[in-house]
Amino acid sequence: MSRASHPQAMTPHRPGSTRTAPPQVPDTFWSQSRMRTYLLFDATGIPYMLVGLLVLRVAFALGRGPEAWAELLQEFSHPLYLAFHVLALVSVVFVGVRFFRLFPKAQPAKLGPVKPPPRPVLHAGLYVAWIGVTLALLVVLGGLWP
Amino acid sequence: MDPETGELRKRTFVVTRFDPDKDQVPKTQTYEVACRPDWKVLDALNHIKDEIDPTLSHRWSCRMAVCGSCGMNVNGEPKLTCKTRLADYGDVVEVEPLANFPIVRDLVVEMDGFMEKFKAVKPWMIVAKEKAAEEGPNRQSPEELSVFKQFSMCINCMLCYAACPVVAKEPHFLGPAAIALGHRYNMDSRDEGAAERNEVFRGEGTVFHCSYANECSEVCPKNVDPASAVNQAKLNAVVDWATSFVVKRNG
Repeated sequence: MSRASHPQAMTPHRPGSTRTAPPQVPDTFWSQSRMRTYLLFDATGIPYMLVGLLVLRVAFALGRGPEAWAELLQEFSHPLYLAFHVLALVSVVFVGVRFFRLFPKAQPAKLGPVKPPPRPVLHAGLYVAWIGVTLALLVVLGGLWP
Repeated sequence: MDPETGELRKRTFVVTRFDPDKDQVPKTQTYEVACRPDWKVLDALNHIKDEIDPTLSHRWSCRMAVCGSCGMNVNGEPKLTCKTRLADYGDVVEVEPLANFPIVRDLVVEMDGFMEKFKAVKPWMIVAKEKAAEEGPNRQSPEELSVFKQFSMCINCMLCYAACPVVAKEPHFLGPAAIALGHRYNMDSRDEGAAERNEVFRGEGTVFHCSYANECSEVCPKNVDPASAVNQAKLNAVVDWATSFVVKRNG
């Protein structure tokens, strides 16, 4: 009922006198809910890569002048592009929430004489910074300021 | 006995079997056991060994989640079987040896690879000069202790290795418990061996293999939070590397 791990996983450099069966992982290893979440987290790299390519495309369109830019905007209003951007946004939120959950405990208890703030404060600070930066970008890019 | 009906509940245990003298690969064997409602998975395994099949091999000792001997995969998840209540499972319970370890026999895994990784991180106090007994004990404040105490609570049950997706793919990776222990000594105010251990952390089994899946911390029965230690160790290893260009080290 199991699948093979790496054949050398957790094997000693000098094998013992008893023959052993190779290391295995349960069939369900990758489908357990926590592991599925982790795999989803890894899979968000794909939308990010595609967003990167789109940004390049935007830059090229800008370089080619107003007509190319208008054409690109027209293309971006297609439902498929809209759906992709929703997917990209969901990916960012998912990764952000996961990162914010794990980031505080990755902080050293002490770095020289400096102690980081308590984890709940750090956690809340990340959300405040995220929401603040998002709002600032919306205000500036939306033309509300300056 | 069911807590409500007062009856024993029959469960099917699907247990991995492997005899190195006979089997090429592990197989499974099924046992029907009438379980008491207060039983843990280990109680059922002991019942199988005592009453049904004395050839079944499994490790256990303290029965109180202290010795770390009875780690196994229960329905695919690494668990200390002495603190895993059968009441939390259905009629079929699958018991396998810890994932990612070579199997010695049935539910018993090879521990030597784990011990090698432990030894590699030098889990002992390293000091430039031993203090003479007349100079008194090494004192440590509660604040200094709090920096690493959590990481010293590990019972070496190896569940974190069975849960780690990186251990499954990277045989050289030092792994959660060993890195947590090395980090524990690096953070100890009495220790002077951080530079040596950080070299190990940056070496072949590097801490940077860790992708922060956090599975080790999810399955840890003692709340050691090895993922926290590993990721703190990453930062310390980088800072130590950068510092080595500026500050000359002894030796």
